[in-house]
Amino acid sequence: MRHVIIGVGAAGMTAARRIRELEPVAEIVMVSKDEHVHSRCMLHHYLSGHRDERTLNFVSEDFFVRNNITWLPSVAVQALVPERKNLILTNHQVICYDKLLIATGADSFMPPIGDFPTASNVFGLRNLSDAQAIGAYIRPQGKVVIVGSGLVGMDAAYALLERQMDVTVVEMAERILPLQLDEVAGQEYRKRFEQAGCKFLLGRKASETVTDGQNRVCQLVLDDGTTLNCNLVIVAAGVHPALGWGLGSGLEGERSISVNDCMETNLPDVYAAGDVTGLSGIWPNAMKQGRIAAENMCGFRMCYEDTYALKNTINFFGLVTLSLGKGQVQEGDQVVVSEDRHCYKRAIIRDHKLDSILLQGNIDYAGIYQYLIKKQIPLEQGQDIFKTSFADYYKVRLDGQYEYQL
Amino acid sequence: MKRIMIDDSKCDGCKNCSAACMQAHREPAGSIYDLDMSDPKNETRNHILADGKGGYRPIFCRHCTLPECAMSCMSGALNKEKDTGLVRYDEKKCGACFMCVMNCPYGVLKPDTLTRTKVIKCDFCLEADSEPSCVKNCPKKAIWVQEVQA
Ligand SMILES: Cc1cc2nc3c(=O)[nH]c(=O)nc-3n(C[C@H](O)[C@H](O)[C@H](O)COP(=O)(O)OP(=O)(O)OC[C@H]3O[C@@H](n4cnc5c(N)ncnc54)[C@H](O)[C@@H]3O)c2cc1C
Ligand code: SF4
Ligand code: SF4
Repeated sequence: MRHVIIGVGAAGMTAARRIRELEPVAEIVMVSKDEHVHSRCMLHHYLSGHRDERTLNFVSEDFFVRNNITWLPSVAVQALVPERKNLILTNHQVICYDKLLIATGADSFMPPIGDFPTASNVFGLRNLSDAQAIGAYIRPQGKVVIVGSGLVGMDAAYALLERQMDVTVVEMAERILPLQLDEVAGQEYRKRFEQAGCKFLLGRKASETVTDGQNRVCQLVLDDGTTLNCNLVIVAAGVHPALGWGLGSGLEGERSISVNDCMETNLPDVYAAGDVTGLSGIWPNAMKQGRIAAENMCGFRMCYEDTYALKNTINFFGLVTLSLGKGQVQEGDQVVVSEDRHCYKRAIIRDHKLDSILLQGNIDYAGIYQYLIKKQIPLEQGQDIFKTSFADYYKVRLDGQYEYQL
Repeated sequence: MKRIMIDDSKCDGCKNCSAACMQAHREPAGSIYDLDMSDPKNETRNHILADGKGGYRPIFCRHCTLPECAMSCMSGALNKEKDTGLVRYDEKKCGACFMCVMNCPYGVLKPDTLTRTKVIKCDFCLEADSEPSCVKNCPKKAIWVQEVQA
């Protein structure tokens, strides 16, 4: 049996490890555009200079050797030929599979604004190669404009502030990290970023660019006419699943690859997992999907059940935040807020069940909230949501594992 | 694998286990008599909660069979070790994102209070050999180590 996996990200690597556990002798081949295995979530540590290619790795250095996996790095898959069960690579190599896993993740979305798509100093931040290219433009007092204040944009801003760059963030919404944080929690980060020298232009869109003679954007024009000088632009305006190479292969799905509960695509023996499925855009879910795909590739019927994806943690300037749920208040919701000098907490309770929670400053032991939301556990009358802990649901099984007693 | 088993009905909330845990992980080393329990540098990896009805709930890492913490770790710092079954934490690899804190379903983990750069996680006192410190120091024998299937 030959398992082929495209991608060495969260989904691909988790799947490879699981297949090896289940099938000690099967052949496993991995292909990736990536030259180094790396965690995308830590790219800002690379930009800031705290990590290098080696320390961005999220598996052990001898992963491929130890697991007896053939890895083809720095080469992209160009086409999938399902009738012949093979893949064509950009170096014209053809590889056959018995079972195929597509775990190609996502690509940065580059909006068609001015010369964004073609200029040489405009980058997305998704791959180590992006971070390496950005690296060449980092210098103290160099002017960088970051478009988008989501997690990726703020990661980039944080890193480049550490490198003494002159950072301006342009954001369409009226506050930063608009999807994860409310006004109060966003303001806390904004203060800290501003103290570190970051400038914000909120409620503004980039609309035009001015390019110098060498194909570099040197000015960004905003919708209100403001112009910003820049040496470097980072666009963090979202991602789209990376499946351009798979077009024409008969894979079903519009913007992402459609899969069933077992992570199977419409093509026989072809599976997909991670960001490329469009099911979520976060690391833990990509790992879980990779694991489920692996089980099924090895003939064990397993379903992807833990689909909850509205979850994130944030840690800038030592201020930690946990955000679960959409955070949007509807009519009839109960909103509970608690604030002190160190901590801001907000919970949205809908029909006596926890819908969203935001904890900033102190997230100690807060793991249980996800369970309450995912399983839609009814809360009791007068239950203090911020004092709720696993002690309220405590049960120890015979083998010592905990479980929830409801 | 070995797991710290818990009989919560025997726990009377003395928190000797928490003190023992702080003592086992403190730096620099010293005797239990000069352990400063109010110093935020000395944090416990377990914690005991009152159930509100006179009983106590000891919260200890389960080194779960399918650990949610490791299944959300984006740096590879958390891993379930094949031979021992323990979920081990490598501080040097950790990227301090705290996804593991959010994903442990039993609220076992926390970021370190002082710097928010690492996770406070049970290591089974492996460096100090023999039994975990908490187990050795529980006067009620409410916790003990046992071999389990996992
Ligand atoms: C800057 C940044 C910060 C983030 N922070 C967080 C965070 O804090 N928390 C969180 O949960 N998530 C975060 N994410 C999202 C997280 O990184 C993704 O959800 C996760 O990496 C998805 O894993 P994946 O395996 O689906 O794809 P990826 O990790 O993107 O891996 C895709 C793999 O496919 C390969 N590939 C792609 N196309 C081809 C091709 N044609 N041929 C060959 N190989 C190909 C790539 O080289 C790569 O190896 C962040 C992402 C970024 C970019
Ligand atoms: S930290 Fe939580 S999820 Fe991780 S092994 Fe311990 S109990 Fe399990
Ligand atoms: S805080 Fe460290 S151990 Fe926890 S998930 Fe993040 S990188 Fe892994």
